[in-house]
Amino acid sequence: MDAYRDQYAKLFNDGRDVTLLAISTDDIGALASWAKDAKYPFTFLSDTGGHVGRQYGAFNPAYKLDNRTLYVIGPDGTIVHRAAPFREVDPMAYTDLGAAIAKARGGQ
Amino acid sequence: MRIAALTLAFGLAACGAMTAQEPLEVGTKAPDFTLPAATAEGIVKPVQLSELRGRTVVLAFFYKARTKG
Repeated sequence: MDAYRDQYAKLFNDGRDVTLLAISTDDIGALASWAKDAKYPFTFLSDTGGHVGRQYGAFNPAYKLDNRTLYVIGPDGTIVHRAAPFREVDPMAYTDLGAAIAKARGGQ
Repeated sequence: MRIAALTLAFGLAACGAMTAQEPLEVGTKAPDFTLPAATAEGIVKPVQLSELRGRTVVLAFFYKARTKG
């Protein structure tokens, strides 16, 4: 999440026409306190039952946690890019993500 | 014995199919959902994905709060 925060302006156009939603199975209180402490400029969603994680093929039933999975959804609601798994330590993963977001925004 | 083994094999295959976690394909409609939401300011109103139509949305699933990545 620190990488998203630190690249927020560049990757996510500072949230102007891009919405970043970070989803985990944590309860909303845990996410709110973490967002506050780390000053994250984006929104966290609490999927405690893993229902949405299952819908998106991110939920790992063995650990009852979501695997790092990333989707870019275009303005018309269609999935335009997917990284499953998202390799958060690989700088190229952010290059690909940035390109996918720029392409999606270009279609607006 | 052989029938028992076959039954077990089919049973395991059925369980596998039920728990299979296939990521969604590019080009498909993103399934709508509504979830409790929080920002650095605290808990905010729940977010419904379809309300964000017209914007580019990035969904980032991750393991756990206060972990790296």
